[in-house]
Amino acid sequence: MPWPRWPSPLASDKELSDFLKSVERRAFKRAVYAVRDDDAALDIVQDSMIRLAEKYADRPPAELTLLFQRILSNATMDWFRRQKVRRAVMRNFSDFESPGEDGDFDLLETLAAAGGSLSVESPADSVSRAQTLQAIEAEVARLPGRQREAFILRYWEELDVAETALCMGCSEGSVKTHCSRAVHSLAQALKAKGVQA
Amino acid sequence: MNNSTNFTATEGRLDVQAIETRYALRVAARLTEQTHSLPHDVIERLRFARERARERARQVALRSAASVTGSAGGTLTLGGAGGETGWWWRVASLAPVLALVAGLVLIQQQNDSEQTRLAADIDAALLADDLPPAAYTDAGFAEFLRQAHD
Repeated sequence: MPWPRWPSPLASDKELSDFLKSVERRAFKRAVYAVRDDDAALDIVQDSMIRLAEKYADRPPAELTLLFQRILSNATMDWFRRQKVRRAVMRNFSDFESPGEDGDFDLLETLAAAGGSLSVESPADSVSRAQTLQAIEAEVARLPGRQREAFILRYWEELDVAETALCMGCSEGSVKTHCSRAVHSLAQALKAKGVQA
Repeated sequence: MNNSTNFTATEGRLDVQAIETRYALRVAARLTEQTHSLPHDVIERLRFARERARERARQVALRSAASVTGSAGGTLTLGGAGGETGWWWRVASLAPVLALVAGLVLIQQQNDSEQTRLAADIDAALLADDLPPAAYTDAGFAEFLRQAHD
């Protein structure tokens, strides 16, 4: 007699695994930028993966990205709540502007100067390259929490404005503002360090 | 004049947005590059987390499948599960209960009609007998029957 077949979830085991594999490193980095602690970030990512698997594994694969990003945001917030690190919460999740904004900073000029940098950079110079990457990462981590979250979701996770807004629980206008400010802050900070993205 | 000014302003805003996006994507690409050099232990812990999540998803799927089996009763085993869930299994799980109720009603009706038929036979025999039915309530006749039987 043939075995009865179980009703299979819409996202198959392989699809879920592939999805998690595709997002896990970025998720880890995103959590690290927020909590500044590797172990805590790993816990947050694991917690988010399990929450996704428990509650949403039966969703179509196309929905997993948005759900996971939302869960990751919530898990990070939960971590902050648990830790009760008020200063960290204020530093990472408030909307205050980064100090020392330069009024005459010209993004266009900076970006134009950076235009041909990728082709000029020598791939052989691994130390310099690593330093550049670390500097970029440090500046991303230094962004105000909401700006960083908007920047990462919009440009790293490649969500559109509406999806980012849904994920962050804010309006699309706020997303655009956060993203624009984040890009300007990054360009300004990296220019000051002499780093070209 | 005014229109051309507005147009230029809009164009300029779009330019800035495009440049911002290009810059942001370049930074994002650098961030992605950085994820390729994660420490081995971090990669392993992420893999472990992924495996745990998959295992949990399997458990949840099995649990929900088991609950479907439980509600479907024997129908699932006899008919094969297929992939269907929902109202069809609910209806299928009611079938044995309905059959049982229908059987009990049928048995009850047969029992009633059997008893009615027996009562009618007894009544007919009593009425057709030479002895009047009132004789059976007479104490002397009952004593006579007992002595005759002994």
